[in-house]
Amino acid sequence: MMMLQADSLHIKRANRAALNGINFHVNSGEIYALLGGNGAGKSTTLLSFLGFLKPSQGQVRVKGIEVKSNIAAARKVMTYLPESASLYDHMNAYENLKYFLQLAKRHVTESDIQHALNRVSLNQDSWKIKLRDYSKGMRQKVAIALSILRDTDILLLDEPTSGLDPAAIDEFHALIRDLANNGKAILMVTHDVYGACQVAERIGLLRDGQLVGEFSSHSDAPIDPQIVHSAFLRNK
Amino acid sequence: MNPLETPFIKTIRREIAFTARDHTVWFWMIIVTCLSVLSVAFGQAEIKHQHVQIQSLVQANEASNTLESSKWNDWGSAAFYHYHMTYDAPSDFAFAALGQRDNQPWKHRIRMLALEGQIYERDVSNPSITIIGRFDFSFLAAFVFPLILIMLLYDLRASEIKAGRYHLLVSSVSHIASLWPLRTILRTTAVLLCLLVPMIFAGAINGTSLSTLLQASIMVLLFTLFWSVVCYIVSAWRQSSAIILTTLVGLWVVTAVVLPAGAKVAIDKAVPLPSGADILLHQRETVNDAWDIPKEITMNNFLQRHPKWANYQPKPPSFDWPWYYAFQQVGDQATENLSTAYRNGRLQRDRIAGWVSLIAPSSLLERSLQSLANTGTAASIDYEDRVRIYHSKLREFYYPKLFRHEPYDKTHLNKVPRFNGR
Repeated sequence: MMMLQADSLHIKRANRAALNGINFHVNSGEIYALLGGNGAGKSTTLLSFLGFLKPSQGQVRVKGIEVKSNIAAARKVMTYLPESASLYDHMNAYENLKYFLQLAKRHVTESDIQHALNRVSLNQDSWKIKLRDYSKGMRQKVAIALSILRDTDILLLDEPTSGLDPAAIDEFHALIRDLANNGKAILMVTHDVYGACQVAERIGLLRDGQLVGEFSSHSDAPIDPQIVHSAFLRNK
Repeated sequence: MNPLETPFIKTIRREIAFTARDHTVWFWMIIVTCLSVLSVAFGQAEIKHQHVQIQSLVQANEASNTLESSKWNDWGSAAFYHYHMTYDAPSDFAFAALGQRDNQPWKHRIRMLALEGQIYERDVSNPSITIIGRFDFSFLAAFVFPLILIMLLYDLRASEIKAGRYHLLVSSVSHIASLWPLRTILRTTAVLLCLLVPMIFAGAINGTSLSTLLQASIMVLLFTLFWSVVCYIVSAWRQSSAIILTTLVGLWVVTAVVLPAGAKVAIDKAVPLPSGADILLHQRETVNDAWDIPKEITMNNFLQRHPKWANYQPKPPSFDWPWYYAFQQVGDQATENLSTAYRNGRLQRDRIAGWVSLIAPSSLLERSLQSLANTGTAASIDYEDRVRIYHSKLREFYYPKLFRHEPYDKTHLNKVPRFNGR
């Protein structure tokens, strides 16, 4: 099922074309990675799916819902994990999760929260420590736990492995693979060519607001990072 | 369903718990509580001082009259040496809004002499206060509190954008109305309660009526609502927090300082007033001149207005009490136009200032609280009017005794009208 769909999407930011007619879609159970240099339009694409940026032409659909006409319904089925997720420093991991879940009117039990925090491998000793004393990676883990607990059909991840150490990146990839296997549609934007090739079924390459290439994995072989890397460098 | 578990209550509980964890909110709540307690305490101390002053002046005046009364042997000297205490006691809400009591007289020790000069012979205990005003509840609520609201609300959204949380928050929340509006309402309510509770507590101690406290609370609530809405609208602007703060403080400066100050200059220019000193001087000159002109001229002026004493004949050339009081009254008559112009001019200025305050909310709140506390310009003029009425009653009491040469009887002194100081 097509969960995310961009159709001839044009977005203007500060009177300049940030996205210039891109087309792609993400199916349920699929991880789609958008790669591109700074200013290529990766985050703009995510924000347009969330309804923060309105298309000047074309449209974006979330689970068949046109975002422009029903932002609230579209947001309800998505979880957004921003780059270097800044949760509230004056609250601990538990309090942050509870607050953001209450915001989304998502009812979870204490054991659900504990399970999610265990799943992102956040040390139990740190659960009740205020986030101001967390490392960047630990904060990121809490944010990932939040996206697990939201349990929406679609995950939008903006540079999700930024700040994580290599072991944590591997754990994260395993985690989102598992989520995708359970039917979630995942759109992630990243600079990390090798990480994207390791985890994504498809990779879209963005340059100056245009999709300049798309790579797909096959059942017997993942996407070759060398090919993507070369294309990335060519189009940088 | 448990009423505490409804989605609405749960949402409120969520944001209350969130707000309660915010140290900034606690910081401003403590500041507002301290300022409110201080303002009410200053007001309370001033009102207590005024009550003590009135009581001691009334007692001292009584004692002085009792002491002096043994020397009085005719109605003329009794009227001359008898001092009468007039005062406008502070209302039970004056502790919250001292208003014009800082720079307008609220007590006079008057005699049967020409009155207008006695009214405008000011007794201001500390002239420097007339410039800066006192730090009372009305000043805190009208001028300081909006600044605190601005500090509390200006970066509600901008701080989330800066922290990189804005998109996460907005995309997570199920109803956007349960985020920014609710946060604004809770923060505002928290500091508003800190502002109002000390005032209500002081009101209960002073015996202020429930309706007065309720009206004052509603006035402050509406004013707070105005500033909260302004902060809400301006903070929704997608600009940096510095620009939002500058805009809000600019709005405060315009509405709380520039508009009232500019309006005052314009009103003073549009409605010129004679000064109280002019009235005093003119009256004294008229009274002093009376010693040098023929008694008939004075008496003619007097009798034109008081023909009922036309049968009275002054005793030339010796001193004569009725003639003496007649020229005192002629002194008042001579300044009548000036005095009326001064009174009506002040009322007119006050009326125009009232209209202008409709576009200067801080002034509007301050004036409304002063009106509730009977400490505004109108209350001050009302007191002057009551002193005039009282003085005319004194004349009505003494004139028959003076002009009919009634024999002095000190037992009649009990019937001398007394001023009702409320």
